Amino acid sequence: MYAWSEEHEMMRSAVRQFVEKEVAPHQEALEHGDMPPYDILRKMFATFGLDTAARESFERRMEREANASTSGGSDSESSHASGSDSGGGRDAAMSLIPTIELCRYCPGMVTALGVSVGLTAAAIASKGTPAQKRRWVPDLLSLKTIGSWAITEPGSGSDAFGSMRSTARRDGDEYLLNGSKTFITNGPFADTIVFICKLDEGASAGGVSSDQERKDRKVLSFVLDRGMPGLEQSPPLRKMGMHSSPTGQLFLTDVRVGRDRLIGETEEVSGGGRDGAKVTFAQERAGVAAMALGIIEQCLELSVAYAKDREQFGQPIGQFQLIQEKLARMEVARLNTQNLVYRYIEMTEAGRPLTLAEASAMKLYTARAASEVAMEAVQLFGGNGYMAEFRVEQLARDAKVLQIYAGTDEIQITHIAKDLLRR
Amino acid sequence: MNVVVCVKQIPDPANPGKLTSETHTIVRDGKLILDDSDAYGVEMALQLVDAAGGGEVTLVSMAPHSETSGLRTALAMGAAKAILVSDDALAGSDALSTAKVLAAAIKRAEPDLVIAATESTDGYTGTTPVQVAEVLGWPSISFAKKVAVADGTVKVDRQTETGYDSVEVSLPALVTVTAGVVEPRYPSFKGIMAAKGKPVEELKVTDLGLEPGQVGAAGARQEVVSVEPAEARKAGEIVVDEGDGYEKIVAFLEQIKVI
Repeated sequence: MYAWSEEHEMMRSAVRQFVEKEVAPHQEALEHGDMPPYDILRKMFATFGLDTAARESFERRMEREANASTSGGSDSESSHASGSDSGGGRDAAMSLIPTIELCRYCPGMVTALGVSVGLTAAAIASKGTPAQKRRWVPDLLSLKTIGSWAITEPGSGSDAFGSMRSTARRDGDEYLLNGSKTFITNGPFADTIVFICKLDEGASAGGVSSDQERKDRKVLSFVLDRGMPGLEQSPPLRKMGMHSSPTGQLFLTDVRVGRDRLIGETEEVSGGGRDGAKVTFAQERAGVAAMALGIIEQCLELSVAYAKDREQFGQPIGQFQLIQEKLARMEVARLNTQNLVYRYIEMTEAGRPLTLAEASAMKLYTARAASEVAMEAVQLFGGNGYMAEFRVEQLARDAKVLQIYAGTDEIQITHIAKDLLRR
Repeated sequence: MNVVVCVKQIPDPANPGKLTSETHTIVRDGKLILDDSDAYGVEMALQLVDAAGGGEVTLVSMAPHSETSGLRTALAMGAAKAILVSDDALAGSDALSTAKVLAAAIKRAEPDLVIAATESTDGYTGTTPVQVAEVLGWPSISFAKKVAVADGTVKVDRQTETGYDSVEVSLPALVTVTAGVVEPRYPSFKGIMAAKGKPVEELKVTDLGLEPGQVGAAGARQEVVSVEPAEARKAGEIVVDEGDGYEKIVAFLEQIKVI
């Protein structure tokens, strides 16, 4: 694949029209006010039939899984393919095109959407029981409900599992959940929350649990609903960029849940509960590359137009070689990022998902490229670039987080290096 | 109820257009897109068919090089099928020969109603739709801002400079719609994927029972003799207010006879 197909182009054009008509006029409220992005996202889903398509795709998946289990086959393969239904597979381009187009104006909206549909729904869809899937996934995939995926804590970021302090304690047939989570996308508004914590079985010899014991505890994921007693959702946190994606904190104090909310309804999850999260990481990283492409495309288009229009020293600044160098480097970044996105689409459509290391390499390069291109766009625009009116400053603030969330650059580097050294 | 929508596939208005040096007609070598003004007609037709509880929307278009990109967009919105007339003999067609071709193609679809835009975004003659109706021998109503079909008639609110006229004709008929008639839908993703498989019947001039000499440059009765660039707008006059600004403005308005 080296170019978008005729259908893809039609989709791009339709989504671009929608974004320019429905998102751009609200950009001020989304980026500098407190307008949550969900109603516009729901309108986008309804307009393009994505809500219906998501529900139909979910039903097909459930049917496949039911057939696989009655024929005695493992459903692990179909689980993998259906991760595709919410982010890849034959529809890879379908889900990435809205991502790219939204990122030209409000990358935060993609963060809000991606966390709800790509992380929260996918976490339940990949490891939940059929009943749990039916209970939460269709509404999340169609944006009827908004989801949060709560892993990060004040004391645990890159070392997500090692330093995790949130706990689940058995209490009869139920569990009591405690802990606090931070930097949680959609946290302030989420209807459905996947809460990741560790099973606290008490100290082994009646004393205090050692650090090692805490580190090795099983990781469990629970599904919570807004308004449950003991669950508090903070107002949005102030942050550098991605203002169209509300981010918050969650506080849990003795939240009582039944086993029906434990994802998979078993404590015996593969890899101690860490595998499910890792599969999610790979999908998330690929999505970041598409976001980077949208930001880069927009910065480059705005920069080329500005370089032709803005005159200094009696000529358009595009005539100066130092400006040309910036434009050329932006174009190289655009081509490389686009090629990586095309590669991801082609591989996914061929049923060959990215490995975690490949996803990390793709994310590392594209996130850095988006950040560099957006900052260079600010520089190219000079004083105007520093002003909100010219839009590149927002994209530069937004782009920075691509190097931080979904695994920092540093974490991506270690994943890539570990994979190379293991060969 | 079956509705035909005349749609034009035009060069993307976002790119600078070019005219041929010999015939002064628009160069249509690259990819063509659906004329935005036709999206209203497609939407209107889809809504009328839906309200009638049955039937389908057929697109009719005339374009060079078997171009279907614009048609696919309208098919993705929900039209059922398309008839495309594409023939080298059509190069240089004027409005009347275009109308003859479109009318012949429309007859094949046997519609109850034909909808077209009031004018295209590239040619702007605004004459083709009524010529199509004339060739077909059907009544036509132009500048519709509201369209309803019932009991074998089409009722239209026809936009005028001062308001609108309520007009009614019996079917079959042709109606041209303004941009205010309805809000066109975006094609859904499912619609986009389905558009590829919808039938597009491609015809030559002779398939329509027309002779090549009747159409294209050979059959054109209209010739563009020359094209001149529009005169550059003159710079405005700045009135500096030194306490007598209002007098200067009043004097200016009197001079151009608006007060």
